[in-house]
Amino acid sequence: MENQDAWRITDRLQAEHGKGDPFAAAVRATRMPMIITDPRLPDNPITFANDAFLHMSGYAREEVTGHNCRFLQGPDTAPEDVARIREAIESRHDVSIDLLNYRKDGSTFWNALYISPVVNEEGELQFFFASQMDVTERKLTEMRVLEDKDRFERAVEARTRELKEANRQLKSALETKTTLLHEVDHRVKNNMQIIASLISMQMRGTTDEIMKASMQTTLGRVEAMSTVHRRFYQSGDVARFDISAFVRDLVSDLIAASGRGDIAVRLDLTPIAVPAEKAAPLALMVNEVITNALKHGFAGGRGGTLRVVSARDGALCRITVADDGHGMPAARKGPATYGKRLVERLGRQLQAEIGWHGAAPGTRVEISLPIEQRGRGA
Amino acid sequence: MIASTPMNILIVEDEAVLAMALEHAIEDAGHAVAGWATCLSEANALIETGTADLALVDIHLADGVTGVEVADRLGRETGAAVVFMTANAKLIPEDFVGALGVIAKPYTSGGLQAVLKYLEQGITAPPPSLTPPSGLTLAPDYHDRWSR
Repeated sequence: MENQDAWRITDRLQAEHGKGDPFAAAVRATRMPMIITDPRLPDNPITFANDAFLHMSGYAREEVTGHNCRFLQGPDTAPEDVARIREAIESRHDVSIDLLNYRKDGSTFWNALYISPVVNEEGELQFFFASQMDVTERKLTEMRVLEDKDRFERAVEARTRELKEANRQLKSALETKTTLLHEVDHRVKNNMQIIASLISMQMRGTTDEIMKASMQTTLGRVEAMSTVHRRFYQSGDVARFDISAFVRDLVSDLIAASGRGDIAVRLDLTPIAVPAEKAAPLALMVNEVITNALKHGFAGGRGGTLRVVSARDGALCRITVADDGHGMPAARKGPATYGKRLVERLGRQLQAEIGWHGAAPGTRVEISLPIEQRGRGA
Repeated sequence: MIASTPMNILIVEDEAVLAMALEHAIEDAGHAVAGWATCLSEANALIETGTADLALVDIHLADGVTGVEVADRLGRETGAAVVFMTANAKLIPEDFVGALGVIAKPYTSGGLQAVLKYLEQGITAPPPSLTPPSGLTLAPDYHDRWSR
């Protein structure tokens, strides 16, 4: 009872402007809300509350003194927080907790509450001392940060879902495109085969040797186009066309078709990938020159060597077709045949330079063209 | 170009024009056409009756992508050598279901003649002495056995 009396005395002393116990005066005057409760009285009532506490809670001193401080709780105060406090008080431990409290006017504030038991020298519980602090600002900021984080995470999740969906659609569109490309490729190849078959069957039924030879030339041109299409998707790159692989196939087919065992072939081929749009004209041109060498250079049972070279020369592609056969007859220097006109026209389309040289023996044709298409104005 | 050892060749191809031209090419090379099938059931009928040395099999037939099944049955049940003819070699299983190889479409008449000559050697007197023609891609199994 001595201590309780002491506090009463300090209470009275307040009127004397903090004279007496300097510690008591400090507790009275501090801006930190503080209360003292007496667990030895029924329901552990408040026996002292400083001005800061009254200011924070909005109650008058006589409204709080003698009451248990649960009047600070309200409907939204977390029951588990209250339970923690009760437990600490029952087991005489200190406790630190952020608690939602209510002022007299019903407004709420976050209270950083710290309660600790006060015992005397004999170890008997005397009081509970509780300090409070209005931490509403900090608490709201924390909650806002949490909310922002939550909102941000939800936004990231939503965006990730959108991106995944977009990726799936893109993948499916790409698959559709690839399927279509394969389908078109398949049809083109099949149709090229049908066109060549129609010509070859017509040719088979023709008895006129001149007409037959003419149709053979046409079939050769169509088959050159077929070889282009067969080669097209074998490389895996649909935008480029390797002219050397085409030449290898073409020469091997033409020699096989000629049935000539007396013509040796020398190929010196550097792979050169030209843009896809050059494939058909270049193939037709090379077919024309090589067919010509076989037909005229090695005519009349004259054997020899056919040499084909593909080489890269800076931005240029050089193709050489040389035979050691008969050489260009005077007649072939006269009015250009359809075959030669075709080569010259294709040469213009490809911006190629074509040189026909007598090679003594034989003929050498040199084709030189830019690998990439040059602007027409350049 | 006349074959020294004529073969009976079965054509499995749904395109009439291609089958017709193929028949001509086979006959011009000195071989005989053993039959023509455009789908799996027609091929099955020929498998039960025919005795072909070689079958040229398209993969896309009139009843779908059934050429692989035809090739598989032909190889196991008749012992005929099988060569695919297709514009879509990606549809061929990795083991070629025992087939010898594939002729990529569109093939040329010269290319086909060279392939027939090579196959004649390979089938009647293996291994072939000719170098493999560019028109034929051998199955891995045959590639190992026939390439010197």
